[in-house]
Amino acid sequence: MNARRASWLVAGMLLAALALSALGVCVGSAGLENLIGPFLSPRRDPAATAMAQQIVWEIRLPRTLGAWGAGALLGLAGAVAQGLFRNPLADPFLLGSASGASLGVALALAAMGGGAGMLGGSMMSGGVAVSVFSSSALVRLGLTGAAFCGAVFAVLLTLALSRGVQHTLRLLLAGVVVGVVLGAMTHLVLLFSPESLQAMQAFMLGSTSFVGWTACVLMVAVWVLCTLAAWLFARVLDGLSLGDATARSLGLPLGPMRAALVAVLALATGTAVAQTGLVAFVGLAAPHLVRSLVNTTNGRLMLLAGCMGGVLLMAADTLARWLIAPQELPVGVLTAVLGGGYLLWLMQRNTRVARGAVL
Amino acid sequence: MTVPTSEPFIAIDACDLQARLGDIGILHGITLALPRARWTSIVGPNGAGKSTLLKALAGLLPHHGRILLLGRPLVDWPSRARAQQLGWLGQNESSGDDLTVWDVVMLGRLPHQAWFSPPSVADHAVVERALKATQSWDWRARTLGRLSGGERQRVLLARALAVEAEVLLMDEPLANLDPPHQADWLDLVQALVAQGKTVVSVLHEVAMALHADELVVMAQGRVTHQGRCTEPSTHRALEAVFDHRIEVHALQGQWVALPRISTLQKPNHAN
Amino acid sequence: MNILRGALWVLLTVLCGPAQAGPLQVTDDRGMVVNFERSPQRIVSLLPSLAETVCELGQCHRLVGVDRYSSFPASLRQLTQVGGGLDPHIEAIVALRPDVVLMGTSSRAGDRLRALGIKVVALEPKTHADVQRVMLKIGQLLNVADAQKIWRAIDAGVSAAAQSIPPEVRNTRVYFEVNPGPYAAGESSFIGETLTRLGAKNIVPAALGPFPKLNPEYIVRAKPDLIMIGQRSMDGMAQRPGWQSMRAMREQRVCVFPAEQSDTLVRPGPRMVEGARLMARCLAEKAPGAKQAAEARL
Repeated sequence: MNARRASWLVAGMLLAALALSALGVCVGSAGLENLIGPFLSPRRDPAATAMAQQIVWEIRLPRTLGAWGAGALLGLAGAVAQGLFRNPLADPFLLGSASGASLGVALALAAMGGGAGMLGGSMMSGGVAVSVFSSSALVRLGLTGAAFCGAVFAVLLTLALSRGVQHTLRLLLAGVVVGVVLGAMTHLVLLFSPESLQAMQAFMLGSTSFVGWTACVLMVAVWVLCTLAAWLFARVLDGLSLGDATARSLGLPLGPMRAALVAVLALATGTAVAQTGLVAFVGLAAPHLVRSLVNTTNGRLMLLAGCMGGVLLMAADTLARWLIAPQELPVGVLTAVLGGGYLLWLMQRNTRVARGAVL
Repeated sequence: MTVPTSEPFIAIDACDLQARLGDIGILHGITLALPRARWTSIVGPNGAGKSTLLKALAGLLPHHGRILLLGRPLVDWPSRARAQQLGWLGQNESSGDDLTVWDVVMLGRLPHQAWFSPPSVADHAVVERALKATQSWDWRARTLGRLSGGERQRVLLARALAVEAEVLLMDEPLANLDPPHQADWLDLVQALVAQGKTVVSVLHEVAMALHADELVVMAQGRVTHQGRCTEPSTHRALEAVFDHRIEVHALQGQWVALPRISTLQKPNHAN
Repeated sequence: MNILRGALWVLLTVLCGPAQAGPLQVTDDRGMVVNFERSPQRIVSLLPSLAETVCELGQCHRLVGVDRYSSFPASLRQLTQVGGGLDPHIEAIVALRPDVVLMGTSSRAGDRLRALGIKVVALEPKTHADVQRVMLKIGQLLNVADAQKIWRAIDAGVSAAAQSIPPEVRNTRVYFEVNPGPYAAGESSFIGETLTRLGAKNIVPAALGPFPKLNPEYIVRAKPDLIMIGQRSMDGMAQRPGWQSMRAMREQRVCVFPAEQSDTLVRPGPRMVEGARLMARCLAEKAPGAKQAAEARL
């Protein structure tokens, strides 16, 4: 029944991902271009083929696959959040990780901008020529590391504020409080360094511009890890859907498993945000889209939501690069349009069906 | 308080049980022995602490005092083993509307399933039995959100049955059930007891409670009486706890409790 | 006797005139006409480039308050700070009793200040041509006679910077990144104009706008000869996918401008000479052909 339908859905989404990655590889700074020619007959124009190969292999392929990886992480995190909080409006940023990442990035941008003594300060020799090629740990850590650390810090703060994971409502409230407070602090930092505003906006709206092979492989690896962990603990979410008391009566160790799920949530969200910035809506929409197609327990939902999120972000990213090439739209805008549009259509269809039932 | 002596085993033995909800004390020193392979029903007025008592006995509530499950202290039971022996059906609990009936009942098998394995053939058989026993088999593919209140209650009951526990604790299991299904539930419980299982239920339908083997009468956090449903002392205790607003009569081989309407007759204690 | 007194009066007016001449009328960038009975003596500036312009015209002493971002010349730091350009402290401004407030065109504070009876002149220079126009307008407002001369000196400075570049280095293809995003400075931006005057070519054509957010692939395919970046963009640039293959990166033809220098490059104002000189130096040192030119000269 459902198992078969779920398998069909996974196959379908993998196929879609494949097709989209082929499309994504063909879309670049010149819009959609035919790369099949140079690949099929390499000897005709070796320079063009070499260029095409380099662009596809080094730039477009890791970017497209990285978009899938980030989307998969966010989709998984969204499914975990909605199961943990038993709230269909939950998204992966509920525990304050978005604001934490923003604060980390804002601080990093401000520090890099200030010439004296902070992150980049020691590198500046006052002259024009400075080593961009230094591999000092702090510089490499840079924005990516700052975003990840910020996200994880925010979740830890939330956990500390709610004193553990036992009371879901308290966890939720603490997350909202942390999110608001850290967001305000971000604005404060930006007030004192307004030149960072543009860069900050690029981060807040999300983009896969600088995703290379390392980032791509990292994201996919973390996704595999988190999906396995989430699948292991998914039975807690199933049990919780019957209520706390029943879940405990079924012998499920609620405390440790909830903590493990929060850890999965933080890791997945932090990794995605660090590489691609804050992409809204994927985490919220992906589980709903899956549920509109097939009814399933939480275990399979984790995998399906990840795949759906990957496809969603991949499609949005390809469009973001295509529409106003060589300029780029922020990918967060497109995920909202695509995901939100589909949900809107779903809601419309449901109300029409309901009205039909009455009439 | 009388303790039945004809059975060699006590399913749940509580000694000086106390429980609080925040600052308010709900249970004040309850000592109770629930016999094995019997159906015990807990009755009492609203706010007596019945649900709290049941939750405490199931180990779901922090409490003071000692509880023995099947001869062993409840705290010594590993949670998985305890879950396999003690089934619980809660009252008014939220349920995930997106799961299918089959998936919900399969959740009852969680205590028996190993971590990495999918449901076994035995699990499938148990779920099928539980669904058929509650007349829910025909709509096993429907999601919970599309069921009526009574149908949903039957599914949750099937979930509790699927655990196949030795002791089954049920809080208001008849909620939303119409009379035919209430009768079905009675048959079910009698069948379970015949198999040697222990059933403890909290019922506010006194008429149904009087079909049990044992009755525990509670008021204001204390047990005022425990005894067999057929004994007159139990009936008197029952009437007393409800301020003599009910009367227990025999009717066609069953005991029924009728409300005493004040305009007809003054309460007559000699009766 | 009357004639003598009259002549004396005229002489005095002529001598003391420039600083205190009669009624003025100024049309600001929003099209509003502002009337002054005499040239304003107490000025509050809410835009750094306007404060710089006032000081360049030699009227620094007339400034009584500036925004928190005005940092040049250093003497401005001693003045009262009245908040930012977009979020000024209305009370603080009113307390200074200014004759005029100079601000950018994109702030809502103008209406509030006008309602409180303070004269507001909104000017925002965005291009090279704007710098001249704004300087002349402020010169007219402050009754500075040689504003035109000062502008010509600035203009000449930029041309001199352009001429200091050896001819082999002309037509270098440059990519200027303003912010990580990547946000590039296009031909139509202020920086772009400076680059054009220096004889360099911008890989971002004017059609894409002043500060487009580019696909990094575009930069790789455009194969710039020289990369100029602000300090903020420095992070991880060498690790950007596909960038190591760029000739500019391999040959280390990258100029990084620290934050203070970035200000002179980005802000359209009288310090554009300094900005032009910075970029000219970068071109002379790092552009391909620069080394050969230097060696040839030796």
